[in-house]
Amino acid sequence: MLVSGVGAGRKNVLKAVQPTLNLVRGKRTKSKGGLNPQAQRIITQLSVMSASRKQPKLLKLSREDLIKHDLIQACWSQYQREIREKRTEMLKLQYESIEQAMNILEEVDPELYEIANAEEPGKRIPLELRVPTQNPPNNVWYYDYKKKD
Amino acid sequence: MQLVRGFHSSARASKAACALVKPVHHLVKIDKSKLSPRFAELKFSKNDIRSPAFKPVATHQDRVREHYYNTIQSDLLLINYSHKSETKEGLKLRQWDGSSPYHINREPRKPKGSKAQLPDIHPVTWKNIPDIESVVVNCYVRDAKENQYLPVSAALQLQQITGCKPKALFSRNDVPAWKVRRGTQMGAVITLKGRPMSQFLSTLTEIVLPRIREYRGISNKSGNKFGGLAFGMTSDEVRFFPEIDANQDLWPVTFGMHININTTAQTDAQARTLVSGFGFPFNGLEKIS
Amino acid sequence: MSVKAAVSSISKTINAGLVLSRIPIITPELNALESKYYQYQTELERRLMWTFPSYFYFKKGTLAERRFQSVQKGVISKQPGVWFPQGVPDVKHNRERSKKQEVVLPTDSSEGSNKSDVSRPIVPNSRTTKADESNDITSLERRLDRTLHLLVKDVNGKWILPSFPVNTESTDGKKGLHETAETGLRTIGGEDINTWTVSNVPVGVVQHEKDLQFLIKSHIVAGEFKLQDKKSVTEFAWLTKDEIKEKVDEKYYNSIQYLLAEQ
Repeated sequence: MLVSGVGAGRKNVLKAVQPTLNLVRGKRTKSKGGLNPQAQRIITQLSVMSASRKQPKLLKLSREDLIKHDLIQACWSQYQREIREKRTEMLKLQYESIEQAMNILEEVDPELYEIANAEEPGKRIPLELRVPTQNPPNNVWYYDYKKKD
Repeated sequence: MQLVRGFHSSARASKAACALVKPVHHLVKIDKSKLSPRFAELKFSKNDIRSPAFKPVATHQDRVREHYYNTIQSDLLLINYSHKSETKEGLKLRQWDGSSPYHINREPRKPKGSKAQLPDIHPVTWKNIPDIESVVVNCYVRDAKENQYLPVSAALQLQQITGCKPKALFSRNDVPAWKVRRGTQMGAVITLKGRPMSQFLSTLTEIVLPRIREYRGISNKSGNKFGGLAFGMTSDEVRFFPEIDANQDLWPVTFGMHININTTAQTDAQARTLVSGFGFPFNGLEKIS
Repeated sequence: MSVKAAVSSISKTINAGLVLSRIPIITPELNALESKYYQYQTELERRLMWTFPSYFYFKKGTLAERRFQSVQKGVISKQPGVWFPQGVPDVKHNRERSKKQEVVLPTDSSEGSNKSDVSRPIVPNSRTTKADESNDITSLERRLDRTLHLLVKDVNGKWILPSFPVNTESTDGKKGLHETAETGLRTIGGEDINTWTVSNVPVGVVQHEKDLQFLIKSHIVAGEFKLQDKKSVTEFAWLTKDEIKEKVDEKYYNSIQYLLAEQ
């Protein structure tokens, strides 16, 4: 009630302050744009996704800069290739090592081999093995683990 | 081999080696704009700095990828190892037995129990360890048929969440039952690869999913048989993305979406093991074949 | 380099070894090339980025918009009859198109607003820990950016991967290698340790003259390795691959080096 009372009072004040309407030639009767707020919002949303008036100037590299850039790229791709090759080499060795271990195990103890080669359906990597972060968490390691029975 | 009585006595022997498929060279499209001497910079590939479409890719360390290479990859090699396993052949098209002369040049029969051929399943070695290939986020807005403003908002939502440019989705057919007209924009889709994908996965597993109340995980029944997993997020769950959460007043309506994780795994079971390594929980009973 | 071919090895005793590792907790340190390259690419990306659509985030006429605009650095606009040594400005949406855009976010301290817990700046934890400073090789909190592997010192004073004899004579169902390794770990290291065995499959085999050591791969998830008695094992250490190379003898290292994580 109080609110509406205040509103009504304000309206009266405005009526008193504002001059009476007089018609002038050339005065705009419609507001600029004439779009409803929802359409206006969609236009803003579209303009966020669109490139118009937001794109920077194209890069214009001099010949020297272009050669420098190409050299940097070549260096980086070689570095990446070296890393990749080393990684595949390690994986290959690991695979051969697994294969060799299983071959020997089959020969030495077929029973243990059967257990080792059994399928493990529903294998999941535990959630506690988290993706490393830039900085360590407040509690670096969880020590208070107690054996569950 | 059984001898077939043909229409002509020389039917088999002198059968011309002709294909019923139309020759391919009429189908090759030529991009004539590439032949023009104008706009030379448009001919550069997108990773060339002179191209207008150039966008740098390796702008920061990719911790998700590094975790995969450091830890998950060799673990997956060991988990998926099966001694002396051989390639399991998938279902293939069946040839006709040749008991009728009409069998010559007839299309082969469909595989038993499947409409299409299925791929072979090779043993996992160091060459084909499962990996996440891409993440496709798509957002279909059912109400878009009445309100064409909605798919725009849905596309912007995807852009805000992933930081990449979405592609608009249009309905392909008239569906009178759903009142869908052909050519109406119905939503948006984004394919994420590389660093944006890692960023999206880590936002999802570290910020969004833990904030969902009573979240249980991706269903163990999810999967497309070929190593692709999918799950959905409701419009309320989407609000937990930090980009939307920080600007609540800009988002009076949010849209639910589907997230498809495409992997190079050959079976869904392999894919689930892989995806669990990135911090996604799984839930429900798993069908063991 | 390749793994040596199998030799006839019947009538050797079987041991289950354990490659127990703690995975990295923080991202690896960048080397000079990587950090320089990332910096270069970031600068390129910022130069080619579209203009920040501030009108979407800050509604016109709001206080938030005024605060945002007040902290932005202005741009030089084109003036008639003025010579611009840096090139004629090309301004659109309040951004110089030939340069990268620097968006400054208003901080709470720039304008008098109430300081709450939420607006307190976040101080990241240090990437080096106490265990690094004291070089405590038994701590799980050392070398957070590298994978650590558990190594023990046996009675002969040699550093090896923990290894446990497999009971091959038991009659009622044998225990698998992975079970032997896990229970063995708990006898020397205490029960309060949570590990995740990667697979039942041994990741490798180390062939000695009298015995075979099948290695089972496992990750420590929680808890701690506490040495129980010093009879069979006198010391233990969590070491990176490089440190293992210095501790163990060369032949042993060469037979296990590809099983240890690089980072």
